[in-house]
Amino acid sequence: MHARRLNLLAAVVLAVFALACGGGKRPSALTQPPPPPPPGTGSTYGGPRPQPVDAGPDVVPLDGEGVAASDFEESRADGEGGPLADVLFGYDQANLSDEGRALVERHAVWLQARREAKIIIEGHCDERGTVEYNLALGELRARAVRDLLVSLGVDGARLNVVSYGKERPLDGGSGEASWARNRRAHFVVRR
Amino acid sequence: MITSGTQGPRLAIADCAPRREDPALRAACGTISQVLRADLRFEGLFQFVPDSLLRAIPPLNPESPNMEDWKSIGAGVLVVTRVDGTAAELGVDLRVYFVENGQVMLAKRYAGPARNPRVFAHQASDDIVLLTQNRGVARTKIAFSSDRDATKERRAKEIYIMDYDGFNPRRVTVNNSLNILPNWTPDATGLAYVSYRQGRPLVFLSRIYAGTNTPNLTGEKESSQAFAPSFSPDGSRIAWASNRSGNMEVWVANADGSGAHAVTQSAASDTAPTWSPTGREIAFTSNRGGTPQIYVMDAEGLNVRRLSTVGNYNDAPSWNPNKQFLEVAYTSRLEGQFQIAIVDIASGQVRQITENRGSCEYPTWAPSGRHLAFSCQRGATWQIHVADREGRIVQPLQAGPGSNVQPDWSN
Repeated sequence: MHARRLNLLAAVVLAVFALACGGGKRPSALTQPPPPPPPGTGSTYGGPRPQPVDAGPDVVPLDGEGVAASDFEESRADGEGGPLADVLFGYDQANLSDEGRALVERHAVWLQARREAKIIIEGHCDERGTVEYNLALGELRARAVRDLLVSLGVDGARLNVVSYGKERPLDGGSGEASWARNRRAHFVVRR
Repeated sequence: MITSGTQGPRLAIADCAPRREDPALRAACGTISQVLRADLRFEGLFQFVPDSLLRAIPPLNPESPNMEDWKSIGAGVLVVTRVDGTAAELGVDLRVYFVENGQVMLAKRYAGPARNPRVFAHQASDDIVLLTQNRGVARTKIAFSSDRDATKERRAKEIYIMDYDGFNPRRVTVNNSLNILPNWTPDATGLAYVSYRQGRPLVFLSRIYAGTNTPNLTGEKESSQAFAPSFSPDGSRIAWASNRSGNMEVWVANADGSGAHAVTQSAASDTAPTWSPTGREIAFTSNRGGTPQIYVMDAEGLNVRRLSTVGNYNDAPSWNPNKQFLEVAYTSRLEGQFQIAIVDIASGQVRQITENRGSCEYPTWAPSGRHLAFSCQRGATWQIHVADREGRIVQPLQAGPGSNVQPDWSN
């Protein structure tokens, strides 16, 4: 009698377990009695069959991947002050300003005089946005520059677009001066 | 109160007892007690007898606990662990008692390598949580991107994984390029991520325990780019963002990259796809309305409707994988900073999870749907934090040096 009441209590506690957790599961599962105690009187503590436990296999670092080829190698013909200076953008903007447009027009002249040169146009953003939207915004910035260069007669096959979002800022600082330098289209001459 | 749960049974987790006096076993026992308590607290499903009371009663007789002692300090459920073994291998016994009548609710024996006793506690925690018909997360892992191995010349970001509690960080990629936006395969043996190692962003798939690697999983053509990979819950499909049509759209393919097709078609940028737990819907970010906002559509691209209604900058949606909670977490700009918010899909109600800790972004859900992780700015770096879905508990993980961003929680 007494034992039955306690079993009921155990079932109630299991039910509370499940409800407290928002489980909302089938009641039939809650009324199962607990598993039978292991054989013996408690001295054979390790009754159940051992279950293997370990941290699993270790990560195999992909050593054979090799170092990225052109990723970090930048041509001298780019960057601030170079013939293919960075084109800057306003906050959350992918439209070219009048200054930006004039700069891209000069770049088009430089590119038309060097028809062998292939260019990567990188789109970059400042740190003040989210990861994924900045990757989309960087793509729009680079594409705005590419589209203008193509409209000025540069062969589109020479122009590749890569968005870096906010992942690799030119200026690691915070503040408007740093942010303004980081909102840019950057030019890399492919070798 | 040191308890996190406000209802549910009151657990007493007795100090782990070595079966024989041995410094190594005692040390392993200490770790197991500590980690098991932390794991079960984290789940937020239980109340706990305060540690101070555990020592106010006579020492535990692990062979046959005196239930009256445990009853006297308010324990409803007693958790007993005992450890034996050698320097190389541990055996851990777990018993869970219903204190009222002394019945054994759970009896398990675990055996395995002795070098990381934490895994025994994680396994025990998950087994105890299973008694509540919920799934525990103690054995899950979090992948993330970090600049910790960058140099001044090579400002690389690599992919790493760690245990859900921030322990055991492991490096996954070694290519000195940019590696970002990791996403676990649902079987938790692989990671898709975006790498710039070939000079432009492409999705790679690494089977991290086998050491194999599939470049350009989504089959981008010359000059097109891929971002934000996301596997469907059943692992059969992958969604991502690509500009291969000339504009950034959300694409879906089979998990091996075959059958790729665009599921959005707008003049705006569409990105950051995340699957509903049924795999029938996808939430994503689009600026088609002028500002970045969260939208939902069928996985085929039909029935697009806007989900975020508050604020003018919302991104990085992450759909709660627990079907019981119909909600999407995302990043929202509020008063110039980014915060983690959750929108209830049925009611449209929004609740804010973070505040007053600088900017936070990029939420990811634990497979239980009861917790999420995200990255917050802490001074000069970003660090991964975890919170429960009510935002009651927000705490940083000690993930290691550098800026640690873009977490993705495994199954």
